[in-house]
Amino acid sequence: MNTALEITNLRYRYHDGTEALRGVTFRVAPGECVGLLGPNGSGKSTVLLHLNGLLPDKPGLDGTVRIFGQSVTPESIETIRHQVGLLFQDPDDQLFCPTVEEDVAFGPQQLGLEDAVVETRVRRALAQVGLADYGSRATHHLSHGEKRRACLAGVLACEPLVLALDEPTSDLDPRGRREFKALLRRIDATKIIATHDLELVAELCSRAIVLDHGLVVADGPVLTLLNDEQLMLAHDLERPHILRHHHPHSDDSA
Amino acid sequence: MIDDWVGHHHSRPHSPLSHVPAALKLGVAIAIIVITVLVPGTRVSWFVGASIFLALVVLISRLPLLFLLKRLALLSPFVLGVALLNALQPVAGASWWNVAVRSAICLLTVILVSNTTPFSSILRVLKFAHVPSLLVTTLALMHRYLFVLTDEAERMRRARASRTFTRQHGARWRTLATVVSQLFIRGSERAERIYDAMCARGWK
Repeated sequence: MNTALEITNLRYRYHDGTEALRGVTFRVAPGECVGLLGPNGSGKSTVLLHLNGLLPDKPGLDGTVRIFGQSVTPESIETIRHQVGLLFQDPDDQLFCPTVEEDVAFGPQQLGLEDAVVETRVRRALAQVGLADYGSRATHHLSHGEKRRACLAGVLACEPLVLALDEPTSDLDPRGRREFKALLRRIDATKIIATHDLELVAELCSRAIVLDHGLVVADGPVLTLLNDEQLMLAHDLERPHILRHHHPHSDDSA
Repeated sequence: MIDDWVGHHHSRPHSPLSHVPAALKLGVAIAIIVITVLVPGTRVSWFVGASIFLALVVLISRLPLLFLLKRLALLSPFVLGVALLNALQPVAGASWWNVAVRSAICLLTVILVSNTTPFSSILRVLKFAHVPSLLVTTLALMHRYLFVLTDEAERMRRARASRTFTRQHGARWRTLATVVSQLFIRGSERAERIYDAMCARGWK
């Protein structure tokens, strides 16, 4: 299989002794959209932080993480961060610049691009997420949904090949969820979505991976896993409503 | 409640001052502050002139007077403390009002500039003036997260108030100390996450 990302026997223990990952192994093909499911504390966010080289915080990875064949090491970290865009769970953590356009420009500027190129990328990314007129707005004055989209624009402006999304629809109202879902659907990159929003996974992903207690407990076609009621309940999840009955907005492209 | 003091409800109301370039406002403000600090105490005409000028600016800015007084009250204690110490000294006792007037003019100038100019414009002027980028970044982050922290403090204050069933002052101070310490811990954890988010987009 041609691989976009490959994780082999990944282990990680936090400073307080919590064993977050106990030998996680999976691969994702280019262009694939994978849902990373599991109860709270199962290790989903920890896996995403490893994809971007933010963990481990000290050198010495227990296991291997490869992005398009390249190992995540302190030497390769700049290339890896260019290739993997990470959307954080709390938009306030990610929007650290005073205005939207400055925040979106942050990544391209760090890549050392020329001002004109940065400006083009900012304009394109803002248009892509539907915030074309929000460039000069203060980031702390945006609504939660707008903050999410501004965060995504900041990631897209770096033109990553892999998008790692941590709970992208948490705290969004139904309309915000629908719009964000439609937005994600339009993005071509390889996507790995850590979420509790099982309807989002059912609609966007072709494959799901279930994590529990730092281990992969199931990996397969999304509908097969989500329809397995026993598996879902055993890992504090549930069969999404969208698979029980037709939802009036399920095929809505917002 | 916390937001009443450090919030930004009245920042940038629509007024002719909003259209004045940030560089000009900043330049005039720095000039007023420097001259006010350096001018001899006997030059009363400068203090009167500066006060009249600032009063006019307050009128043009359309900022509510109560809001300005609250800001002044928030920022004054340190400088007024020095003025008070000065008043208690037998030799220089007469100059306490001088310190108080100087501090009021300087603080009002800063408050007027910061509330009639978007902070991002001020940062742009600082960058243009070759102020070290680390300092500009620190100021930008401080401004960005000040509101996040005050919101968090306000949520914690409400949560505390909703479960406070006693008016005992000792207990109030204890819970307040807990809230403040929690705010520090949360602030430091958020700082770690922000640093991660910056690194994720290539911060070196």
